[in-house]
Amino acid sequence: MRAVSVALAAIGIGLPATAFADLPMMNRDKPVSCAKDTDGHTWRIQCDHATKVCLYASGDELDSEGGHSKPLERAKDCAFEPIDRPALTAQGYTFTAGRADAPYGWTRDDRGRVFQVNFDLRRRIYFGAAYTPKKILENPLESTRTSLDFGLLVLNVRDGRTMHRIRLVEGGVHLEPFSAELVLAHYDMSHKFVDPLLRITTFFGEAQRHDLTLNLGMWTEVGGLELHRTERGNTQLWKHAVAEVTLDLWQSADLGSFLRLRTGMGLEGQHDEVTGYHSALVASSALELDVTLDDDGFHNLRFEVEHELPRYFVEMGDTGKLAQRMKAKVSYEAIVLAINDQPVSLKLAMGGEKRDDIPGLPNQWAFVMDAGLRFSLWAPPRAHL
Amino acid sequence: MGTATRAPLVAAAALLALCCLRSAAHADSCTGLTKKGGRFPVCFDLGNRLSVTAGSDGFGGAIAFRQIIHFDDDADLVWKLEHQIGETAHAGGETGLTALLYRGRYLRHTRDGHIVIPLGEPKKVFLPFDIGGLVESGRVTRHLDGTYELGIVKTAALVDLWRSRDFRRRLAIGPLARWDVTVSARPIVLGHHSISPFSAGIANFHMESANGLTVADISVEAGTAWTTDMGWRPDARAEASLERVIIAVNDRPIALMLNAKYASATDEAIASIGARVVLFQARDQRVSLR
Repeated sequence: MRAVSVALAAIGIGLPATAFADLPMMNRDKPVSCAKDTDGHTWRIQCDHATKVCLYASGDELDSEGGHSKPLERAKDCAFEPIDRPALTAQGYTFTAGRADAPYGWTRDDRGRVFQVNFDLRRRIYFGAAYTPKKILENPLESTRTSLDFGLLVLNVRDGRTMHRIRLVEGGVHLEPFSAELVLAHYDMSHKFVDPLLRITTFFGEAQRHDLTLNLGMWTEVGGLELHRTERGNTQLWKHAVAEVTLDLWQSADLGSFLRLRTGMGLEGQHDEVTGYHSALVASSALELDVTLDDDGFHNLRFEVEHELPRYFVEMGDTGKLAQRMKAKVSYEAIVLAINDQPVSLKLAMGGEKRDDIPGLPNQWAFVMDAGLRFSLWAPPRAHL
Repeated sequence: MGTATRAPLVAAAALLALCCLRSAAHADSCTGLTKKGGRFPVCFDLGNRLSVTAGSDGFGGAIAFRQIIHFDDDADLVWKLEHQIGETAHAGGETGLTALLYRGRYLRHTRDGHIVIPLGEPKKVFLPFDIGGLVESGRVTRHLDGTYELGIVKTAALVDLWRSRDFRRRLAIGPLARWDVTVSARPIVLGHHSISPFSAGIANFHMESANGLTVADISVEAGTAWTTDMGWRPDARAEASLERVIIAVNDRPIALMLNAKYASATDEAIASIGARVVLFQARDQRVSLR
């Protein structure tokens, strides 16, 4: 036991006060031993018997003076075991200062303080504000073309080879000119099928099997609302319910990212100040890409092209019985900092729209750009594959 | 309906709240004893209850519950979640309806507040506050002219300067966003929209006595809002409430409520007084009836 104390005292003396950030971190998945030095301070030690390198780190967070302040947060349990440093050194082991282990998605700074560095933006509550750069350049003091977006709950739940995606009260509102959109509840589901729908075997040369897997899923929304204000008055578009079938053209291993086609039908009602209220059946199709570009969830890209064909039960003014809506949108969201482990992200978006169903909106492509910040609550680390 | 005045009701309610809270903070035990040895609770859980209210602003009710989420690997961290569902008050007739579908306040309490800047090697900068958010959706208010105001969404990022591991105190400030719309009832047509895209701020003071007999809450929102009919305009709202349990029947508390609120958009201040009867309530964990 005396040898242990002597060894750890030596570790303590040799501990550098700075430059921890460049030091290796203990592996969370491998055993960590603990021991106390002659001053009663706890030390964490992890030896790699293949490389014969032992990392050691304080079991306490350090204050700005290098003193021990409090036990490490989020460190795994460790067993207090005798460590005979001279014996290990004689066997060829080297002792190197390191950083204590941290859970997946977390790291430690030079004082052993833990913080989150991996975020799942598909499990969060968020709200944000954005501005149109064009207007800012025209008059930086005038806060026009502001927008606000929010999501009460964004939740991806993975169940084996199935990913359930739930969105509650998600939408946005634009100012000057006013427009808004809101969806009360959204649910879609992707599944990774193991058994192929078709197995095609070719016999040209060596026989080869080619699997054709159809990763089918579903996509639903209820309680959608679009509001538009034009020179011909206000228009409210109530998207009561939409149900679509999805075909995933590509899925990431964790099912968090995808490229998919979807198509289906919806029921909606539109009220405007020109033609009154009209109900319609809507055929809609879309191509969607939703991808997280890095393992830590810092860079997220979304792209969507959507086509909708509302067919009204009764003719709607100049539009007639059949209208058309086309939308395209690309957005990129990157985490720029985190406050108490809750990420603040920068969102850049660009979109275009062409439609003939809203009185007062010209039937031509209109484009908009947004740049803004989002504040997210919760956002735990991404699933560890 | 309440009495319309321009008096500084908010300040009066705040002073009253502080007086009551100070006197109530010295409860020694949460279990009372009768002369025959019977036990009864003298502390109450304010955050988990189904209650009905009756007062000058009408009859109503609300469901409230609280959660504290702990983490095994970080004993210093808790998430404090407060939920209020279906809060209503209805005076009958054509006027006097206020309702709120959902309000959630989520605060993340940790001993060490910090900002992480993830550029290059992540940096951790320490700040002495908790953070969280406020989410409110589905607020309905019926006006005297028969129109309704529908609060579609209200949300705020909160910084709690008066940090606490429990729900008993809070001094939270932060930027606020909200989206309201007026609605005519017959036919149902949406009217003017009012939007604050984080162009307003909120300050919220909340304090409860240790025994749960008294609770005071003050919220002030101020900033600018954009409306579809008038463009940008100043917008300010304030609300103060004080609740004091004065009696319990079958261990279910009945509280006296004072409430005052002001809105610059309608330029009216409304005060109300009433009682809250708790129908179901989680028992305070400090109470022992056996």
